[in-house]
Amino acid sequence: MPYNRVFFKILRHLLLAAAAIIMAFPFYWLVMSALKTNDEIWQFPPALWPDTPLWSNFVDAWQAAPFAQYLFNSIFVAGSIVVIQVINSGMMAYALTHMKFRLKGAMTMMILIGYMVPATAVYLPGYIILGKLQLLDSYGGLILSNCVSVFSIFLIRQAFLQVNHELVEAGQIDGASHMRILWTILVPLTRSSFAVLALITFIDQYNNYFWPMLITRNPDLQLISAGLRSFFVEGGAYGLKWPLIMAASAFTIAPLLVLFLLTQKLIIQSVNLTAGSSKG
Amino acid sequence: MKRFKLAGDLKAFLFTLPALAPLTLFWFIPLGYVVYLSFMEWDFMSPDKLFVGLDNYRYLFQNPAFYQSLRVTLWFCLGSVIPSMTLGLLLALLLGGQGKGGALYRTMMFAPWVTPTVAVSIVWSWIYEPEVGLANSMLNLIGLDGVGWLKDPNWALLGVLIMTVWKSAGWCMIFYLIAIRNVPADLLEAADLDGANRWRKFRSVTLPLISPTTFFLVIVQLIAAIQTYDQINILTQGGPSGSTRTLLYLYYQSAFTSFQIGEASSVAVTIIFGCGALSLIAFMAGRKTVHYH
Repeated sequence: MPYNRVFFKILRHLLLAAAAIIMAFPFYWLVMSALKTNDEIWQFPPALWPDTPLWSNFVDAWQAAPFAQYLFNSIFVAGSIVVIQVINSGMMAYALTHMKFRLKGAMTMMILIGYMVPATAVYLPGYIILGKLQLLDSYGGLILSNCVSVFSIFLIRQAFLQVNHELVEAGQIDGASHMRILWTILVPLTRSSFAVLALITFIDQYNNYFWPMLITRNPDLQLISAGLRSFFVEGGAYGLKWPLIMAASAFTIAPLLVLFLLTQKLIIQSVNLTAGSSKG
Repeated sequence: MKRFKLAGDLKAFLFTLPALAPLTLFWFIPLGYVVYLSFMEWDFMSPDKLFVGLDNYRYLFQNPAFYQSLRVTLWFCLGSVIPSMTLGLLLALLLGGQGKGGALYRTMMFAPWVTPTVAVSIVWSWIYEPEVGLANSMLNLIGLDGVGWLKDPNWALLGVLIMTVWKSAGWCMIFYLIAIRNVPADLLEAADLDGANRWRKFRSVTLPLISPTTFFLVIVQLIAAIQTYDQINILTQGGPSGSTRTLLYLYYQSAFTSFQIGEASSVAVTIIFGCGALSLIAFMAGRKTVHYH
């Protein structure tokens, strides 16, 4: 029996290590390819690491396209969306959980239906509407069209449902307005859900590609993914600049990997909350 | 009294407005608009739209490209959802009782999900490079011939699928990890006392207890699979010869490349109904088999 135990333990570690290495290998490969010379990268069989790491590839790639602008656009747009979603999800969830009004059931239903509609399916009409509003090719369009998320509303609604309604009533008796109750009582109590909302929304929006690419033609407004893609298509179609493309991919991924490493616990906790909000 | 109630309604309405206004503008109106457009013939440019009734649908259902992309979508769904979930469950089971060392494994496996799809797709397109790419040199290493990967209609879909599974398996794993931790220990101990082996315990205790997670993952992953765009756009752009063109990609191409707005809209409506039907089927199947406790 103990033999069996030890055997299983070793086997388990071996399997896990193998799986982890396979999963992480593309990232290793990315960095190594970014450090190779153009000749090295076309060697076959490929070398596992470069002879002398060519760190200048990163500088060259950074200067080859307006990546600083792209990065700023992504962070600015994602950050603005986070702020707006915190506000509108909080208010909507408050109304749905702690206010009484007619059509509350209908409103909840509507949001549920919104949850089921595949967002990408309405990109074409969304594009036409955005055009009619003169919001194509603008920060306003990028931010406004993403400023509400059914998922965020659900997440906060779920958190507010756990808060005892008596706290809200106590606030009302003290004469506090709904706004005051929401921001000084409910939000502090459910701050971990708001942190999750902020983090998930930021990651999603930073990574967003399809919709922002559709609604912006101006290169100055491109988000990092679309910018990286244009760089890839211009430089990479004939395989001329692979090391630079790899370097550019690396610094696109890096901020998110760092953010992920810093906030891992919270992200994994968010899964707990997501799984919870899917039940109710 | 009635006035008070009305005032309350108004206040609540004002609270919902910041979310409701954009939701209506960018979600509900487009939903109605796309149905309307699917009955029209329009090329984006001309000022007038022509009402053609069900012609777009009739044309769509006679179009072999539609059936091809339907097949691709089906394979894409099966080929991404089943492996991602199986792999996720296996990894979660392996990781189940790990302490500190487990955290490192977990981080490494979950990282692909967090990173931008476009950037990692570019990495994968280099891995799939037929001449000197990593994928083919691995194949050579074990004595197999390299394949064309993204340039070969027989292999391109598999290439996109491998990358997709790589990206989402860790995500499924996290969900399963939490579900497995929530399985009550006394149930497993009771099974131990009954002399059940590992497989038997998994089969009759763990698996039924984590079925709500399985059910949730199936729906979320299916809907995500139907909406996949980024990696297809970077890796294959629907090609070669339509072998990776999903319904969504067909929709996008007919709208923004061939400007057949009516036809594209009819594809969109099909996708929306497809997702609705899938959710409904999953929901009904879930009611029968999912075990809530």
